[in-house]
Amino acid sequence: MTDESNGKARFYNPPNLLKQKVGSGGLGKDILEKAQRLLEENKIDFKPIAYTYMDALHAGLELAYNPPANVRKEKLLEGLLNPIMQLKANGGMFHYSLVSRISDRMIIFLENLATPDKDAQEIIQAYYTTITAILQSNLKGDGGKEGENLYLAICEACDRYCRKHR
Amino acid sequence: MAYDFRKASVLIVEDNQPMIELIRSVVNTFGFREIHVARDGDEGFETFCRFNPDLVISDWMMTPTNGIEMAHKIRQHPSSPNKFVPIILLTGYSQKKRVIEARDRGITEFIVKPFKVHHLYRRIENIVEVPRQFVDATEFFGPDRRRKKVSDYNGPFRRERDEEERSRKEQMVHSEDNLYKEIIRQQKIEEERARTYHDPLVIDFEEDDDDR
Repeated sequence: MTDESNGKARFYNPPNLLKQKVGSGGLGKDILEKAQRLLEENKIDFKPIAYTYMDALHAGLELAYNPPANVRKEKLLEGLLNPIMQLKANGGMFHYSLVSRISDRMIIFLENLATPDKDAQEIIQAYYTTITAILQSNLKGDGGKEGENLYLAICEACDRYCRKHR
Repeated sequence: MAYDFRKASVLIVEDNQPMIELIRSVVNTFGFREIHVARDGDEGFETFCRFNPDLVISDWMMTPTNGIEMAHKIRQHPSSPNKFVPIILLTGYSQKKRVIEARDRGITEFIVKPFKVHHLYRRIENIVEVPRQFVDATEFFGPDRRRKKVSDYNGPFRRERDEEERSRKEQMVHSEDNLYKEIIRQQKIEEERARTYHDPLVIDFEEDDDDR
């Protein structure tokens, strides 16, 4: 290992153990394609996973509707944000890319929200209803035209909020 | 010659069993044979100390201890067997403040979920081929948070966009904004590459594969 110091910080070049073990040359296209197929053709049922996060989101919404006196607004937001992030992260991995797309828009909305006020709660409730509908109707993939309309409806709701509260 | 991951070991830290299975199947296809699994940051750190894997792939949001708390422990704890181990963080968050938070806790690479195989492969390839220097400052220990210019190639370019790419890289300043933009931009480029997979004019890594 080599190291150097500039007076304020020390810099190290640790041995590249992974390189020493795996060698060089990368992985072939066939291996990457095979791995991608495994990822895409998984038979995992997303709905039980999704409903776990939907329950958590429901609890987060309940807390936002009736916040205890001493609860911090960051805590309220985290209770909404975390399950939506999980829906975004997992939806696309398990064939529900529309869930990921809509959730991504909601995350951007929530990350820029100061506090989950009444108008914001309505939008999150609309998101909740939309995701429930997608799951109940098994709307997999991007959902086609119907999926696009659902996505645009959520975007429009978020934009309206931003215009009103700017 | 190609990478041979059979002698390398990996630790997957993830609380979602179906996601564990997916990641396990991918790294197994890459060639990893020694694959360890833990279900939260505490178990992850224990498993890390026990097996000292060559690579850690971790989710962020887990209870009671999340992925970046675990990463911090791996980088700082006296009983950590390898404070320099590469750590890839998988998360649904992509906002700038999240990327910076992860980076400041010692994460080596960041992948936004949902991800594709080439996202994970590119990060592993980065770790193998262009490992980052480590910085030990009073408030931080981890991979150098500044991104360096990727290519010093100064020869002629075949396509107009190569020239644009070079000038973009030259203009990169080591700032937080650029780090964040670079991560998101790379992921978008990789997605575009995957979409246009059969076009030999745009798939650089296919050309690379032929060279290997």
